[in-house]
Amino acid sequence: MKTSRRDFLVSSALAGGVGMLASCERATSLLSQEAGQRLPDSLAVCDAVEVDPGFHLLSRATFGPWPGEVERLRALGREAWIEEQLQPESLDDTLCDLRVGAFESLHFEPGNAWEFRKEVLRDEITRHAFLRAVYSRRQLFEVMVEFWTDHLNIDIEKGDCIYLKPSDDLRVVRRHALGSFRELVLASAKSPAMLTYLDGRDNKVRKHFPKDAPNENYARELMELHTLGVAGGYSQEDVREAARCLTGWTVDLKRGMLKDLNLFAPARGVTYFKPDWHDDGAKTVLGQRIPAVGGEADLERLVDIVCNHPATARYLAGKLCHRFVSHTPAPALVERVAAEFTRTSGDIKSLLRVILNSGEFAESRGALFKRPFRFVVSALRAVAADTHAHKPLLDYLHRMGQGLFQHPTPDGYPDEEAPWLGTLLWRWNFAFALAGGKVPTVGIDARALRRVLEPGAKLKNPPSAKFADNLFAHACGRRPVEAEQEALTHLTDPGELLGAVLASPAFQRC
Amino acid sequence: MRLLTNLAVSSSPAVDEAGKHTLVCIFLRGGADTMNLVVPYADDVYYRARPSIGIKRPGGGSASAVRLDDRYGLHPMLQPLQEKFAEGRLAIIQGVGTDNTSGSHFECQDQMEHGDSMSGTPAGGGWLGRFLRARANPATGPLSAVAIGTTLPESLRGAPVVSVIQSLQEIALKTPSGKTEAAAQVLARLYGADVTLLGQQGRETLDLFERVRQLQTNDYAPAHGAQYSKDGFGNGLREVARLIKARVGLEVACLDLGGWDTHFIQGAAEGLQAQRAKVLGDGLAAFDADLKDHRQNVTVMVMTEFGRRIYENSSLGTDHGRGFATLVLSDRLRGGQILGGWPCVVEETLTGPGGMRISHDYRSVFGEVLKGAMGLERPREVFPEFTPQPVGLLA
Repeated sequence: MKTSRRDFLVSSALAGGVGMLASCERATSLLSQEAGQRLPDSLAVCDAVEVDPGFHLLSRATFGPWPGEVERLRALGREAWIEEQLQPESLDDTLCDLRVGAFESLHFEPGNAWEFRKEVLRDEITRHAFLRAVYSRRQLFEVMVEFWTDHLNIDIEKGDCIYLKPSDDLRVVRRHALGSFRELVLASAKSPAMLTYLDGRDNKVRKHFPKDAPNENYARELMELHTLGVAGGYSQEDVREAARCLTGWTVDLKRGMLKDLNLFAPARGVTYFKPDWHDDGAKTVLGQRIPAVGGEADLERLVDIVCNHPATARYLAGKLCHRFVSHTPAPALVERVAAEFTRTSGDIKSLLRVILNSGEFAESRGALFKRPFRFVVSALRAVAADTHAHKPLLDYLHRMGQGLFQHPTPDGYPDEEAPWLGTLLWRWNFAFALAGGKVPTVGIDARALRRVLEPGAKLKNPPSAKFADNLFAHACGRRPVEAEQEALTHLTDPGELLGAVLASPAFQRC
Repeated sequence: MRLLTNLAVSSSPAVDEAGKHTLVCIFLRGGADTMNLVVPYADDVYYRARPSIGIKRPGGGSASAVRLDDRYGLHPMLQPLQEKFAEGRLAIIQGVGTDNTSGSHFECQDQMEHGDSMSGTPAGGGWLGRFLRARANPATGPLSAVAIGTTLPESLRGAPVVSVIQSLQEIALKTPSGKTEAAAQVLARLYGADVTLLGQQGRETLDLFERVRQLQTNDYAPAHGAQYSKDGFGNGLREVARLIKARVGLEVACLDLGGWDTHFIQGAAEGLQAQRAKVLGDGLAAFDADLKDHRQNVTVMVMTEFGRRIYENSSLGTDHGRGFATLVLSDRLRGGQILGGWPCVVEETLTGPGGMRISHDYRSVFGEVLKGAMGLERPREVFPEFTPQPVGLLA
């Protein structure tokens, strides 16, 4: 326990109690720290009146600046930094991989996930997403993973989804997060988790009314939420026709003795096409005719029709601008992004390039409100915290209303500010607890932060006004205005100062 | 601390006046199949459409409907409500709905919570938000509107003050040193200098700390042997009852009860929907018993975004339909009656086969509840473009 003398490690040592796992986590923390995953020895704080442009880019294209990243961005140049993020495989992510290395349930074939208890599955998928957001160097990739996780929302608390979402996360969302939109939707349409979450697995041709009937649930959300948008110009008839195209795609969730003996039976949790459930008549979707006897090819035809529809380009462009730029994005920007969507047939990297390099993006500093997940992760990143994301930390997210993978309805967590304003209290309490080192299982090096933001100060003395200013600028990307400066003079404890900065209105924005 | 104390003192005198009557809105999220909650057992059409999930006629044992009158019975799990109906305090309105034919949960919830129609111009904010704003005065307290949960419901958007909480004990600022006053003061300054919605919400959150401090001192014992279940819904109702009894100026409380999107194996007297019905029935019974001495001050309304189709689907569930039944429990409205049209009339035109025909636009119902229970004089302040039709709730 000698190492735990260091402030940095005190809390993480308590993390998993005693035993192998805890010492593994301790070793990972130590190694990461040695490899530079900590506060640097000096920081150039952004102390202009306006939010620093580099800080702004990092606030949106990452989960908040990691100490030192603003300087790195400056050195590299804005466009080069964006290009680097758009090629995530070029960024070495070993340290993050190490932190999530123990989560074996994520890598199992979907059919074998039933080997795990639900608590283990819930714990591992949630901590994986959380730790990647905090520690991955492939930040834009992770930001897009969050975007698509909302866009193609699956609530792991519904039915058997908890067994299937890990493979959806890996093979749908993460595989295509920066790829082709059409491939993403196609993978999602066949994802066992999605077939289960939106009842597509039970969608069959109408034979013995009312026993066998289509289930329109997925077909509707495919158009309303995943592609065209609710104002996308589809009719109720289109929903019904789309549901007919998708009949027969199913997944078995139960396993039985007989099935296990039958070598030709489809594996549990794996998507397959059941021809006698498929409606093989001709269909018309959005004015396009799909001839009879298309069989399983109907699904791909349908995905092409909805993905190539102009409403989808507009809807996705609008939604991305909404997430990255402003809740009232300039129509001209949305049009440019929609045009790029059409030109590139939905190449996600190309869309991000247009958005992040646009003038509208540069001018939108501080216009967005951090949702709870971004708030918590950006706070941890701002102080280079050490955590393995155990329950006490994740519980804060639940109190703030954003438990990961637990949004009950298929629209995903909202972007808007208003739905989150009722839980400010929990942000404040998190901010103060984190700053005071009181979030169990989270370690922060308060002394190092003081040293780097108030060079030469005696730690025993109360912090100077310069420290408060620097702390604010470090966390919020700009110098505090007079009212903010004045307010902070009423606190003398460095920990409570940091808490107040993280709880301030400025830190709730990005 | 001076700043906070001033706020608390200046707004305390008129609080009792503002909170004379509390409207508790319970939203069944997911489109509840009310056809199995208020069962039209007198109609063979019902049983033909639901060969597997229909609720048996009254008199067939514990799995059968609980008789209300010659035509209707309650789901067996809603048995506690039978007594309220017999006492003339529970009203049921059949065939309530919006004009929205999208069948989308989000559109229909949003439209209903905003108090809008599909064809008209949005009025801005939520219907409860507009109601609260229209009657707001400088004495409106920080607890005039409370939502139980973690997100602000759309219906309360635009209200002068809203608090989103899960339990009263939570409403406290905690800092490492335990010296919360200094931290609260700094936050009051930081949020006081912010002129946006965020600043306003921050100030309200600080104000709330002061107000609930008194309520936090002792543990709560429900009255008249009321027993709240230990789930989120039961806990939420208990906290609302505490606020009502404490007379902190609560005018509107919103609670959600989810899990009603029963596309798949809905069940009948037992099963998926029955579990939700039990939570609803037990919760309302406990709440009503706990507030026995305050009944003249409380109205409860239960709503959902749309009903479901009359016939069951291939998965022994029900798909999205239109009309639904609304429940209203109040001493100020005419209960003991089932209003609205007969539900087993299938609407063929608008949403495809199987949706319950709408006999009352939901705004007529909400408007009568606001008028009869909350004393709203000008319904147009809440539903600007709408001309209500009489529903029959007003005494």
